[in-house]
Amino acid sequence: MGLLSFSSVILALTALQGPGTRLTYRVRVIEPAVAPRVLASGAVSGPMDSDMRLTLRTDTAEVEALFEVTPTVGDTVTLGAEFYTRRQVGRSRRGLPLWEEDTYRRVVRFAWSDTARVYPFGVGPGPSARALRVELILEREFAGGEARAGERFELLDSTRDVRIEAVVRPRRARIILNLVRGDTVSGPRPMDLVLEEPPRVVQLVLKGRPTTLVVSLTRPDTPRSMRDRALALDADIVCLQVSQPAVLQPFGTICGRLNNVARRLPLPTGDTLAATFAWPGAR
Amino acid sequence: MTGVDGTHEQWLAQIDAELDGELSLVERAALAKHLATCSHCAGARASHLEVRVALARSAGNPHAFVVPRPAIRGGTLALWVILALATGLLGGWFADRRWGGPGGGATLEESRGTVVVQ
Repeated sequence: MGLLSFSSVILALTALQGPGTRLTYRVRVIEPAVAPRVLASGAVSGPMDSDMRLTLRTDTAEVEALFEVTPTVGDTVTLGAEFYTRRQVGRSRRGLPLWEEDTYRRVVRFAWSDTARVYPFGVGPGPSARALRVELILEREFAGGEARAGERFELLDSTRDVRIEAVVRPRRARIILNLVRGDTVSGPRPMDLVLEEPPRVVQLVLKGRPTTLVVSLTRPDTPRSMRDRALALDADIVCLQVSQPAVLQPFGTICGRLNNVARRLPLPTGDTLAATFAWPGAR
Repeated sequence: MTGVDGTHEQWLAQIDAELDGELSLVERAALAKHLATCSHCAGARASHLEVRVALARSAGNPHAFVVPRPAIRGGTLALWVILALATGLLGGWFADRRWGGPGGGATLEESRGTVVVQ
């Protein structure tokens, strides 16, 4: 009986996180006046492991939060939020603003399609009680092969600084390699690499001379900054480890965002390896 | 008139000095001669004397020759200075705990973001 229930849990989780399931964060930013006013609305959708980053800024406070979803068995979902907050607490003797920084985590569990109210500036007495609130609804749907993240956001009051964005960690990346020496460049060598997979051998030819390299794609080290860690600002950064065949010591590592910008690594042979990282094409 | 008042003020100062025992014999003789002819100064001297007697009585020494001057001892002064400093430090520490430092107002937890499920 115990084995059966365990299997059903695994099956349910697998079904929820399957490639055909799409997660949507529906967001409304509301000003709680006498007649509540919607300042912004939007939605972030993507695969089940998609996160949403919310940014709210006022003259005296900045709130950034990373929301992530963990599906649970049945009709409930666990919403985790990693907050990074900066509040202006006064001015220094030289007249410069003083800010305090705070990082904390909130976790709630609720049913799909229920509404979670997020009070980014707190619910205590004083000005925070009159500050904004964010209404968040989580939805899931079966979406066939659509695997890309999407964003839709409408700011109805342009005087407010509010933003939402999808945060998706790539499982694979499109890498284009070139060898460069002086003003000569080898032909581009595109390849799709999957993160944390075994290294692959690639051969580049420059002026008729072949160069063989072993490349593998990894995730970067954990960021040192508290804000970068909390908000997963390195989510779309990948690192390409480059080494020589049969040599343990790698030539080096190139890290960068998936933004089509070429990054260079000098090789001991005198050539320079240029690597361009991009999101892989849609499947 | 001003000259007469000025002279009168000088005699009053002489009376104070005499009661403090600070006049020489010559000065005391001159003052006695003036008092014999100036009823105003003689009355002022009597008033000063009465005040000093009252002060000496209140200090617990009705037979004093002169008004006892308050003596401040070094130990007492140091004690009061230390007490004043300690009170100031304690008050400052309490005020800093209660109202001090930037970021006053709501508690940290109240100022943090919250997620509430409806």
